[in-house]
Amino acid sequence: MPNSKSADSNGGRFLSALALIVALVVTPSLGRAQESESPDADSSSSSSDSAPSTGPVSGYMDFHYNNREREDGVLDFHRFVLLFSHSFTDRLRFVAELELEHAVVSNETDGELELEQAYVDFLISRSFNVRAGMLLAPVGIINERHEPPVFHGVERPFVDTVIIPTTWFDTGVGLHGELRGGFRYRAYAMAPLDATGFSAEEGIREGRQKGAQSNAGSLAATGRLEYVGTPGLVLGTSFWSGDAGFRDLRLDAGVTMVEFDGRFKLGELEARGQYAHGFLDGMGDLNASRQRVTGVSPNVAEEIRGFYLEGSYFLSPRPAPREVAVFLRYENFDTQYRMPAGYQPLKEFDRDAWVVGLTYFPDPDIAVKLDYTVLRNQSSVIDAPNAINVGLGWWF
Amino acid sequence: MKGTTRRVIMVLGAVALALAAESGSPAVGQERQVVEVVAERFTFTPSEIRVPVGTTLELRVRSDDTMHGFRIVGANVNVAVPKRRQGEAVVLFDATEVGRYRFECSRLCGAGHNFMRGEIVVVDR
Repeated sequence: MPNSKSADSNGGRFLSALALIVALVVTPSLGRAQESESPDADSSSSSSDSAPSTGPVSGYMDFHYNNREREDGVLDFHRFVLLFSHSFTDRLRFVAELELEHAVVSNETDGELELEQAYVDFLISRSFNVRAGMLLAPVGIINERHEPPVFHGVERPFVDTVIIPTTWFDTGVGLHGELRGGFRYRAYAMAPLDATGFSAEEGIREGRQKGAQSNAGSLAATGRLEYVGTPGLVLGTSFWSGDAGFRDLRLDAGVTMVEFDGRFKLGELEARGQYAHGFLDGMGDLNASRQRVTGVSPNVAEEIRGFYLEGSYFLSPRPAPREVAVFLRYENFDTQYRMPAGYQPLKEFDRDAWVVGLTYFPDPDIAVKLDYTVLRNQSSVIDAPNAINVGLGWWF
Repeated sequence: MKGTTRRVIMVLGAVALALAAESGSPAVGQERQVVEVVAERFTFTPSEIRVPVGTTLELRVRSDDTMHGFRIVGANVNVAVPKRRQGEAVVLFDATEVGRYRFECSRLCGAGHNFMRGEIVVVDR
């Protein structure tokens, strides 16, 4: 270890944090288990009297312990998310998602308060519905389906962070519906990305305008087509296409992203995979322009791409609190995949990762997660730190 | 002893038949069709269910993740679908008239909740 923080010390803290989380979670879950073992408690019959209890607020939370190599461990209440919904009528509905990230919003912290969704659905027919407001870009597996118990690993996949900038949201309007044969679609016009936020390390991530007085001089088009007609199988493809150079009148920049994904469940086994490729136009001019303004070129690539494959398995087909799944994920992601003429790729951002871990479900809506991430890059100078992560996430 | 046992079995059988009739089993001559439906954020599979008119549709709805709701719009049906591995909801739907009947998740289940919809299509024989 090249630095002063010893592995033993970090390991001790990690075990303490894990013990605390397990103690907090397992104790109340035992009472819950006894309730669910009542033989008839699970069946429901068709009566409006037995309608599900829906509180006025739902949401999810994400509490993490991250310990990267050669660094102190970090305890972070990563996400505190509240969802609200209201039906004006059967065909006019409102949904909102308000998120507090990293617990505190101040000049000294990375905390953010974000309105990630707030839209009205005009439900017209099965195949044709209109949605307007603050929308999630329908790109990839995680962006629209990101509640902690539905994915393995403490942190969202790297590909869904630096290639697809999850959570990707902005203002817009569009259509969605289900077609024949198990196909369904979303097609939205949304506020575009801002190229001046692009970077070598995180691609287009900081280009999201997030609906904060978003420039809408030229709207982006985005959409998704997915097949859900076979039990256990979901296949999807999505795209984003829009200008991104509105901050600088001399800049002709744009982003086109295409994405393919699939999920397949067979018994206790689940496999999922995703490929995303972004084509960034005008990045040579952007790099030169930013260098003139700030003195430093952001070295943004003209292509970014990433993919991952993940397999997971429920060790025993038993109801919670005895559900444990193990998983292994391989990710390969490069935010310097193709460079504009005259720019060299920074090899530390050509990365791949193995993530192995387990998810324990004391309840299907609570996930206690543990993983070990081996992160590598192509640089011969800059190391990529491995990490141990522990997380507690829940939906209510 | 053998006779007593036979009589007990007959009585129990009669009680079971009476209970089945009471709990909404199809009328004589009416067909029953059983369909298993899986609810998962944010789909029902299958999301389109076709039945001939005059059928009693028995839907056995189970969840692959959280608790969902299963509501057939306009049919006074709205039940909880238990969480993964915690049972199933059974819904009976008498397809007495040709038409399209929308069903949907009635419990907020996440960011894509409003996508969880489907249709029962009742067709002529």
